[in-house]
Amino acid sequence: MGEKLTIDSTLKCDVLVIGAGGAGLRAAAQIGEQRPETKIIALTKVTSPQKSHTTTAQGGMAAVDPKDPEDRPIFHMFDTWKGSDCSADQNVIKKVCNMGWEEVVWLERHGMHFSRTEEGRIPKRPFGGHMLNFGETKAFRACYEADRTGKGIMDTVWNESLKYGVNFIGQCIATEILLKDNTCIGAIIFRYPEGKFLAILAKATIMATGGKTRMYLVSSNCRGNTGDGLAIALHAGLPLMDPEAVQFHPTGMVGPGILASEALRGEGAILRNKDEEPFMERYAPTAKDLAPRDLIARSIITEMREGRGLFHEGHNAQHVWLDLRHLPKEVHEKKIQEVCSFFKRFVGVDPEKDLCPVAPTAHYQMGGIPTNEFGEVQTDTQTIIPGLFACGEVAAASLHGLNRLGTNSLLELITFGKVTGERVVEYLKDAENPETLSSNAGHIIFDQFSTYLNSQGNEKYAQIRDTLRNLMMEKVGIFRTEKSLLEAIEILKALKERAMHIPIGTKSLKTNQDLWQIWELNNLITVSMVIAQGALARKESRGAHFREDYPERSNEFNYHTLVSMPEFNKVAFGKRPIDMSLFEAKGEHFELFDYIERKY
Amino acid sequence: MSNFYNITLEINRYDPDTQLSWIQTYQVEVGGILRFVDVLRKINDEQDPTLAWASSCEHAQCGSCGIIVNGKPLLACELLVRDAVGKFNTQKFTLKPLTIAPVLRDLVVDLEKSYDRVHEAKPYLIKPAPFHPDGDEYRISPEKLEIYVEATRCINCFCCATACISSHRNFLGPNVTMANIVRLMDPRETAKKERMDILYREDGVYRCHTSRACSFVCPKEIDISHFLALGKEGKF
Repeated sequence: MGEKLTIDSTLKCDVLVIGAGGAGLRAAAQIGEQRPETKIIALTKVTSPQKSHTTTAQGGMAAVDPKDPEDRPIFHMFDTWKGSDCSADQNVIKKVCNMGWEEVVWLERHGMHFSRTEEGRIPKRPFGGHMLNFGETKAFRACYEADRTGKGIMDTVWNESLKYGVNFIGQCIATEILLKDNTCIGAIIFRYPEGKFLAILAKATIMATGGKTRMYLVSSNCRGNTGDGLAIALHAGLPLMDPEAVQFHPTGMVGPGILASEALRGEGAILRNKDEEPFMERYAPTAKDLAPRDLIARSIITEMREGRGLFHEGHNAQHVWLDLRHLPKEVHEKKIQEVCSFFKRFVGVDPEKDLCPVAPTAHYQMGGIPTNEFGEVQTDTQTIIPGLFACGEVAAASLHGLNRLGTNSLLELITFGKVTGERVVEYLKDAENPETLSSNAGHIIFDQFSTYLNSQGNEKYAQIRDTLRNLMMEKVGIFRTEKSLLEAIEILKALKERAMHIPIGTKSLKTNQDLWQIWELNNLITVSMVIAQGALARKESRGAHFREDYPERSNEFNYHTLVSMPEFNKVAFGKRPIDMSLFEAKGEHFELFDYIERKY
Repeated sequence: MSNFYNITLEINRYDPDTQLSWIQTYQVEVGGILRFVDVLRKINDEQDPTLAWASSCEHAQCGSCGIIVNGKPLLACELLVRDAVGKFNTQKFTLKPLTIAPVLRDLVVDLEKSYDRVHEAKPYLIKPAPFHPDGDEYRISPEKLEIYVEATRCINCFCCATACISSHRNFLGPNVTMANIVRLMDPRETAKKERMDILYREDGVYRCHTSRACSFVCPKEIDISHFLALGKEGKF
């Protein structure tokens, strides 16, 4: 019955970074700069940090340039607050918006290849929901490297981590966070090539595992974004905050849902329905095609529901059009070069001549592991867990509340990576070296893998995966009702059971793709359950969470959802208040940071 | 459902436990708009869950899914079935792993080892130029950036290194050498001497025989050999 699963060896370091994407490696670079002697290990599922999902981000990173005569950080703060539908934390908004420009400069000074203006400076483009003078007119605030800003950022933080001697371990998953006396002492990991388990003991552990939207049929996320970090946090008894807040990007390429950046609309592209009507004018008369993503995604689905969508035969899917034909050749060739090539290769259309078929694609999680404004992980009672930090998409501080503005995620990765790195350096001053591993370390993953490896049954991995992805898209997607959510929860319970009965292709532990994917599937089901439960509990519509049976926002729900689920479907709810410090400070324009009406 | 193809794939298999290699044939009926990664997934789903292959972003932005199809190194995620049928003028395809790293299983190679070479090229700024007197970012004119911007688009998929006639024997490889040349062209880098030492060392740019295979296969359509030529010329 196969070999007995054991921990092969134990490594020690000062800082363990789980997830070597934009946020994790910005934190690592900060620690390296401030405290060069720090021994850092950074883990990634892929073969190199350069291949992280951050590298697929396209449009830009929001930052107010102090030399800009028109823009001000307070406009950015207001846009973020309004964009979140009054559910982000204002202490975090203030901190991040004030840090934006210095972080753009940090990236540039460390070698990022930003595009350039005629004056040789970093250019900025408009993006959805970013406006001047509290919502009057579009702001030029998204600093960009063509339409590959994420790649520029990823390359830069990877390079800097390399420069400071960070030890990268690729092709591995963290399977368990090690907690001892409520302090985090590291993690158990599994290496894909050799099929071996390692324990890593660390004074400080940073969770930066990124997003999770692979449970949706159409998703812009990479193959490995399966909610692993969230699932191991839940196993460790930690809550997730606002899991119901899942962002659908309005413009995924029809079929697989590859991202077609908002930068296209920032450069002037227009959404059109089957009659080629620019329909966003009806839904958002001021912001039009640059309204926030939640609003545009719902508008597109509404167009489809009312018979004004189109049907793509090859992909068997509905879509609307994105019109880029009127943009200058120079824009096609220089500013949106990558996305234009994606449309040509993956869809077979030429954006210079043809209308491009697009539909909403699951893109981002606003929620995640709750942290304070320093990246320290909190329990359901807002107590800090010493030694455990989280930043980037896996964490919720919360900058985005229930809806995120485009370009604010790259901003968050970098600012919170830095802030978390700084906090870790402070923490290391008094932190003790974890000496020993508890005797039952690894038992969670050994039990799981033993189950998968020895499973007898006739369930099929692909059937369960596809059922899950269709279910989440239809019942826990852009529009939700109590009925759809209750149905989804019942089906998820059944899927969880079925996933125990998939016969494995090979029992080898070495590069066993089947085993790896069954583990990921279980994480997806676990996290899907928490999304559905969070969505069921929030009986209102706010930001990206839209309940057709409760279509209005309600002051009753002016809080963050906390959901714990240490065992599957054993759910406990909690609440975290929304930080209103900008409003409460009664400073300039404080009244705009109240629970304001949200119109675009 | 128009545009279906019945294709045959002959795939190189390798089992790390028994260390046996063999070629396995799969017949698949697929829509023409599907990518080769979708085809491989379909084989896993319907025929053989043990077939291992690598991918991540699946839209040509991360470079994890390089394989050799009918002799050409390319990204499995951006090869559509209908395009493959047209391009190779056949419905029969051989799929092999890239040759620049040890095979872990089937089509999966250990790119982590290949990345050790990228690290040797020091892709970061070794010694950045002083700050601009006005603060903020270093000023680079669009004309200057234009000269090397294409080379910054490299995703290190190692398709070029696989195609290169001198790569991975005694040459650092086209992508790695280009990463160094980018920083030689970058006005913010002041450690030019250290960079030239890397460029002209024993396994440096002069190992390139100018076959231009790199430019021919690059999935990002970067003219890599152009940058290597600038490196040989010392024209940064």
